[in-house]
Amino acid sequence: MATSMTETAGSPRAAAGGESELLLEVENLNVEFRTRDGVINAVNGISYDLRSGETLAILGESGSGKSVSAQAIMGILDSPPAFVTDGSIRFRGEDLLQMPEDQRRKVRGRRIAMIFQDALSALNPVFTVGDQIGEMFRVHQGASKKEGYDKAVELMDRVRIPTARQRVKDYPHQFSGGMRQRVMIAMALSLEPDIIIADEPTTALDVTVQAQIMELLSNLQDELDMGLILITHDLGVVADVADRIAVMYAGKIVETAPVLDIYGAPAHPYTEGLIKSIPRVDLKGQKLVTISGQPPSLGNIPEGCPFHPRCHRRRDDVCIPNEPPLYDVTPGRKSACHFWEEVLNDHNQ
Amino acid sequence: MSETRQETEETQRSQDGATGAHLTRGTGAEPPPGSTPATTRGAPGQGEQPGKGRSLTADAWRELRRNPLFIIPMLAILLMVVVAAFPQLFTGKDPRNCDLITSRQPPSAEHWFGVDLQGCDYYTTVLYGARPSITIGIVTTASAALIAVFLGTLAGYFGGWFDIILSRISDIFFGLPFILGALVILTVLDNRGIGTVSLVLILLGWPTMTRLMRSSVLGNRDADYVNAARALGASDGRIMLRHVLPNAITPVLVYATVTVGIIISAEAVLSFLGVGLELPNISWGLQINVAQSYFLDSPHLLFFPAILLSITVLSFIALGDAVRDAFDPKLR
Repeated sequence: MATSMTETAGSPRAAAGGESELLLEVENLNVEFRTRDGVINAVNGISYDLRSGETLAILGESGSGKSVSAQAIMGILDSPPAFVTDGSIRFRGEDLLQMPEDQRRKVRGRRIAMIFQDALSALNPVFTVGDQIGEMFRVHQGASKKEGYDKAVELMDRVRIPTARQRVKDYPHQFSGGMRQRVMIAMALSLEPDIIIADEPTTALDVTVQAQIMELLSNLQDELDMGLILITHDLGVVADVADRIAVMYAGKIVETAPVLDIYGAPAHPYTEGLIKSIPRVDLKGQKLVTISGQPPSLGNIPEGCPFHPRCHRRRDDVCIPNEPPLYDVTPGRKSACHFWEEVLNDHNQ
Repeated sequence: MSETRQETEETQRSQDGATGAHLTRGTGAEPPPGSTPATTRGAPGQGEQPGKGRSLTADAWRELRRNPLFIIPMLAILLMVVVAAFPQLFTGKDPRNCDLITSRQPPSAEHWFGVDLQGCDYYTTVLYGARPSITIGIVTTASAALIAVFLGTLAGYFGGWFDIILSRISDIFFGLPFILGALVILTVLDNRGIGTVSLVLILLGWPTMTRLMRSSVLGNRDADYVNAARALGASDGRIMLRHVLPNAITPVLVYATVTVGIIISAEAVLSFLGVGLELPNISWGLQINVAQSYFLDSPHLLFFPAILLSITVLSFIALGDAVRDAFDPKLR
């Protein structure tokens, strides 16, 4: 079982481009929080990889471990209480977890950058945005203050902030939510990293702005041929921009597949539930479908299949004693459900 | 054309600043034609030049500039500092050139504040008395604040054993009442001058400010922008200096302003009790000490140094209050 979980999922769509490069391989990553009330298993053996030019969406509810796994990749987990207990994170073949801290810091920002959910709190309130974007160049490239400002203006233009030259000396609170997120993106982009991890980049924004930001991100990704890991709980955001989706539940990846396959026919009851619970215009007036029950407490994950208490397809004799491995559904597609064929067939009919 | 463009930019800026800006202006689109610059002309902040940002400090300064509770104490303090630095600008007499025959004369045209016990011009000696008080107040507070910012930042940011030890040490100092502690230490010291008194007051003063700095840093350490800075490759030192310190230091600065007043009055109390500065130093506390025996006959001996001491202490405390209010957005 353990071996099948450590297998990494392929990515047929990105590979079809021919020249994409394998950037990141996460293998059997385990993260736990050691708290006074016991151990919380936030991430339990997840594996995936990311190629240049590819967008991987990591989808899951609050508390499914998606943000924690991203922070583990960045190396910004608060330790203690969080500890990476097993696994490897290889960036261009080198294991980040084995790297000494000063070397790892050079990867952060320069090679792998991160965009945070709430740009207002992620920007330092006491410095101008130009100062903060310019800081990237001052820290990493030893640029002067003046050069930093010039680069900041350039970047703000690039993320399409109007009248960048005037606004570079404004403070974060003087920007609107969407503009602030653009500033965050500019900072993340500044050193042209290979990978950008966006942790719910549009959750704090309204819908029209969400679309603009996602479009900006995916345009920039194409220009720079970056790998993008998009962490979100919003299926609507994912559909347009992602190449591949990994669905997380209780710290595990329960299904991973190319984005179109998942929308066409999910192969895991949890994914099925997520898709069914998207509000639809053609079903207006009917009761919204939900997944019954609560996500499990990560300190007390159910035995066997972690999803079984909420699953309408469960068979107690199979699902409670046996934790499902990641079954190969098709090449590049996996599902952690004993009855994935049943789920898939229901939707293919 | 260029003028209208300027105006629209200004409109955008003041809208953003005024509303907290939860709506974006879209991708580079010009504002809708309906938003005429004229309607927003009167909005707050419209007097700002385009391109000039508004930081918290700038906002606070703008607030303070118009507050009489800031301006009056500030002027009083500035005057006191000038008196302390250059007392000879305000009096032509020498505080050491005294005539015992005139001892304890009441105020007159020649001696505005009267004459003290030793026959010195009281106006002159009271002015010269500002120097030790102000020096001790400012030197003590600045040194204690420096120690506090340094230790408090390290303790708050790294936590761990350093924090534990530091907190226990400051607990010990908290158990010691300020004046009593100073009394006990100063009693055993000889040749007490400005330096000695300052050192003792620094020793007793740093723990409170360190505590304050530590908790302020703790509140900022886990802020998103600190995580973001770390995710973008900043080192611990840089995060502390650039991201934690500027956001955490305000409460300490405000408290320090008030502390100057408290230290000045502490110095006066200690000198009055006979364990602070010693003669032949000139200080308000010493003058009040001498005055106590002659209060009924020569009230001016008590009145003038006491009034100046009160004004100075009160000014620092009022200034601290005004600064605190300006930096606290919730009170706006």
